Amino acid sequence: MLDTGHMLLTLASDAPAGAAPWWVMLIPALPMVGVVLCTLFAIMGVKSKLPAFATVGCLGLACVLAFAMLLGSDDAPGVVKAWQWFDISWGEGHGQTFSAIFGFYIDRLTILWMLFVTGLATLIGLYASEYMSHDQGQGYCRFFMAFNLFVFSMSCLVMGANMLMLYLGWEGVGLCSYLLIGYFYKKPSAVAAGKKAFIVNRIGDLGLALGVYLTFVHFGTIEYAELFASDQLQGYLTDAAHGHFEHIPAAAQMIPLLLMVGAFGKSAQLPLYVWLPDAMEGPTPVSALIHAATMVTAGVYLVARAYPLFQVSEYALPAVAWIGALTAFLAATIGMAQFDIKRIMAYSTVSQLGYMFAGLGVMTSIGAAAHVFTHAFFKALLFLCCGAVMHGFAGQLDLRKLSGVAKMKGWGIVGITMLIGCLNLVGFPVITSGYWSKDMILAEAFVRPSTGLVGWLLLITAGLTAYYTFRVFFRVFVGPVEYHPGEELHAHDDHAAGHGHSHDHGHAGYDHSHSPEPAHDSAHDEAHGHFHPHAPGWAINTVLVILAALTFVAIPLVALNHGGWVGEMVHGSTAHYEAAHAGGGSHGSVWLVGLDPHQVMYYISAVVGLAGIAVAWALHYRGRREAAHAPAAEAFKRVAGPLQRWAEHKWYVDELYDFLFRNPLWVLSQVFRYIDMLLVDGLVNTAGWLPSALGGRLRRGQHGLLQGYAGSMAGGLALFVVVVLLLVSRSA
Amino acid sequence: MLELAQSAFPQPMAGVTLAHYLVLSGAMFTLGLVGFITRRNLIIMFLCTELMFQAAGLALIAFSRYHLNLDGQTFVIFVLTVAAAEAAMALALVVLLFRRRESLSSEEWADLKG
Amino acid sequence: MLRVNEILSPILLYAACLIGAIGVALALPRRKPGIALIGGLVAIAGVGLGALALFLWAADAELLPSVFFYVFGLLALGSGLRMITHPRPVYSALYFILTIIASSGLYVILSAEFMAFALIIIYAGAIIITYLFVIMLATQAPTEDDEELLSTYDTEARDPLWSAAVGFVILAALTAVMFRGSDALPPVQASAGSHELLAQMPRKIERELRRSGAIRADEQVLTVDGVAQVDWDSRLVSLEGGNLAALPESFVTSNVEELGFNLLADHPMTIEIAGVILLMAMLGATVLARRQVDIEEAAKALQARRLSLREGASDA
Repeated sequence: MLDTGHMLLTLASDAPAGAAPWWVMLIPALPMVGVVLCTLFAIMGVKSKLPAFATVGCLGLACVLAFAMLLGSDDAPGVVKAWQWFDISWGEGHGQTFSAIFGFYIDRLTILWMLFVTGLATLIGLYASEYMSHDQGQGYCRFFMAFNLFVFSMSCLVMGANMLMLYLGWEGVGLCSYLLIGYFYKKPSAVAAGKKAFIVNRIGDLGLALGVYLTFVHFGTIEYAELFASDQLQGYLTDAAHGHFEHIPAAAQMIPLLLMVGAFGKSAQLPLYVWLPDAMEGPTPVSALIHAATMVTAGVYLVARAYPLFQVSEYALPAVAWIGALTAFLAATIGMAQFDIKRIMAYSTVSQLGYMFAGLGVMTSIGAAAHVFTHAFFKALLFLCCGAVMHGFAGQLDLRKLSGVAKMKGWGIVGITMLIGCLNLVGFPVITSGYWSKDMILAEAFVRPSTGLVGWLLLITAGLTAYYTFRVFFRVFVGPVEYHPGEELHAHDDHAAGHGHSHDHGHAGYDHSHSPEPAHDSAHDEAHGHFHPHAPGWAINTVLVILAALTFVAIPLVALNHGGWVGEMVHGSTAHYEAAHAGGGSHGSVWLVGLDPHQVMYYISAVVGLAGIAVAWALHYRGRREAAHAPAAEAFKRVAGPLQRWAEHKWYVDELYDFLFRNPLWVLSQVFRYIDMLLVDGLVNTAGWLPSALGGRLRRGQHGLLQGYAGSMAGGLALFVVVVLLLVSRSA
Repeated sequence: MLELAQSAFPQPMAGVTLAHYLVLSGAMFTLGLVGFITRRNLIIMFLCTELMFQAAGLALIAFSRYHLNLDGQTFVIFVLTVAAAEAAMALALVVLLFRRRESLSSEEWADLKG
Repeated sequence: MLRVNEILSPILLYAACLIGAIGVALALPRRKPGIALIGGLVAIAGVGLGALALFLWAADAELLPSVFFYVFGLLALGSGLRMITHPRPVYSALYFILTIIASSGLYVILSAEFMAFALIIIYAGAIIITYLFVIMLATQAPTEDDEELLSTYDTEARDPLWSAAVGFVILAALTAVMFRGSDALPPVQASAGSHELLAQMPRKIERELRRSGAIRADEQVLTVDGVAQVDWDSRLVSLEGGNLAALPESFVTSNVEELGFNLLADHPMTIEIAGVILLMAMLGATVLARRQVDIEEAAKALQARRLSLREGASDA
């Protein structure tokens, strides 16, 4: 019972002693060098791929350093201080000195995160060097500048030694996300998506800021090393371990709830997930790096980093679990009915992030971290595959208009790697890393007595995931070769090239279960008759192959005994959580009597996943050929029609938000507008009108006549003299 | 009031005092001032300023005599200097203005009105 | 003996100011010259009242300088009044010359002889002549004394009543202050300062001594660093060779000498600045007056019509 507290005590007592080597500061410094270089290139008007290679060089070096950090790390966390950032004191007492260093806190969680952040950033930078090549010049430099800035901010976020550094990185990645989503700033939808992402994130950021503030007010410090070692927190943890939550002040219990809001905003959870699907307006490498692999896991990182804080609240972790599970389920149902493959991937990202939060919520931080780790690779892989398709087919992303891509010349690698990515996402048994990481979460969800329903939700979601993932694969990559290029034929000239995936999936009457037997529009064909999709080049293929290989490499890292290597990494950090106190004897007894869910879940989830794939195969591979008018499909369509329409419209969440928030706010703003117009402007105008009217009277005095002025002067003098005389005679 | 005046007044035996000159000077200055304000002819206006200079010069000389100090007289030389410079500039301006409007009326020039 | 003090409360002066103001206001040129004449008379009455007040105040004093003071003072004020009220600029200028002459008379009474002459030379001789030239350049002198032919800006004063009121309020206030207390002018006497000035002029002393026969032609005044050694209590001058010579009592510095020392010894910088000012004024006047003015055709026609009207009127 007590060992959680003791363990943390011993862990934390090491913390202040440790000092990380100085060169870890180079990891954030190198992307900053990249920022400076790209800015210089932009000023010099470089029109080659130089910025991309500079970026890849800097980030690759940072990646190497991250590996070095891994090799050189010992168990104890270390702090390296660059300089004193803030040191403000307004008293001697507790909580009256605000100090924060600009420095880095290195423990295993940090190393784990930095490894895949820098590694993926390097690979995706390489991919983008080819992907963005149509835009060489100013835009290219701008892209890679923001790319580097993102990696810098992410390093600050992950490596920061205190919550202020985390906040700096948090806002930095938000800014970069905004800049990169709105990269095609001439496209209104991209601009709107950028704004949406920024504004929705701000709601979360408010929560985070308040959380950080409350942490400072309550604990008197925001340095991780001091915070986690503080007796106060250790006392709370001991109370929590005994279940005495009533001994813990409400303020301390509020902190995790506020931090949670920030995490949900950044990691696209209910109810703040709406920005992420729209964020796919950005260039695909950005979607892959920021909006699938790294930035969106910042929320997971925050919860994992502040895990001790979360444990002191009775409701924080269950809330995280529930919201994660609900998000996973909801996003999966929406993803089932979308037609835009990139958007499907976006919803799958939301869904998988839900898994991670659920994992954190059911206290398997190892499972969550493992899923973050594997998900980063396979989701980046999936996005890059989609990006390759989009790049090659002039922005076409509608799965009804593409078919048999894998059979085309030069697309084999894309097809195979896409298959690998899909299998990982589904969690295909044994041979995929996604299988191992997901099962850890699922099993733990069934173990916890309070969150049984969460487990069921996640299990259903796993089936749905399998269905929508292979829906994409069967539609786009196999089957007869058919394609309709997207709207951007002149992909290499147009600024907004390759990204015109329009939001046309909303148009009515196009039923996805209906066989999309290519309805040949003759005019359409004629116009695009000479279109040839261009296959991806060496850079894209290399990256795809490396990523696919990495998904396999990740298997032993997560699959071995109790989370494997990743488990070890998490074990040595603040995110570690001893499951021992969570109610004795709960192991295995909840769901299957006599069977440990940890063992059984491997089989169950495998079955569910395979069933999902089978349904997808039936409906979208076999069914596409012959069953256009099959009665079964018709019946299914009748039943699923309204449901599917709802899902296709994303459960009308955007509309609901419009109704609940935007419209009332609009009405309120109108009210204020009229108040402003009539009252405030009225006052201001009166204030302006009065002097004007007065001046209108007074200006007659300014008649321009020399003698008038002289007369006024003389009159003034006379008045003055008389007054002085009277005063003198009075006083005399 | 009357007592105050009596005590404040010097004895009548004093002859021509400084105050006599100052009153005279003030009267001359007033005449110049009134003339400057009332006459519309630019040349007369400048003549009136000369009258005011005269009044100032008279007061300076009287003070110089009163204090038995020559600085006052020296200062009158500067007054003369300024008066001469002013006359030169002013008359050049008057000639210029007259060429433009064919009139010496000061009211012709009211372009700065608000 | 007349108790003039009781009469001579400032009320008399205020009355003089009031009458003077009314007179000036009436005397200023206007459409009906008859009133101006009355105004002139009233104004002179006011001035006379003021003068009477001043005279009564100092009635029993030694009369001669006072008489000249009153004569010149009245002359200055009268001609000043006429100057500001005369509708013809030429006459105004001439009356101003009269004012200046009266002023220089006052300067002489105040024992500022040099300034009196300088005033006449500079003002009457130079400045007013310039004014007269400009007046002749800028106005058409009518052949007869026909007031109808004068421009309205000469024949109509602007707000005479208010202006006179303002001006004389200032005057009344100032005179009220002045009459609070003032002493008779002290007698001119040799001061220590003038002795020093004399000592600085050994050649002048020598010349004076020779003229009065106090020293021989071959004797010289002893100088130390260019300054004569004079014992002012006994008025004895040290000569070279150890002899002493007595200075005549009447030997004092003149006004011009003192002024010269004051000007050049005490204010050398200011006189340079005055020179620069004058130079600038000369250049400025030249530059300004040389500027060619382009008059539009319409303005030229208007000008021509005006001139012809005027000539036609004078012909008629």
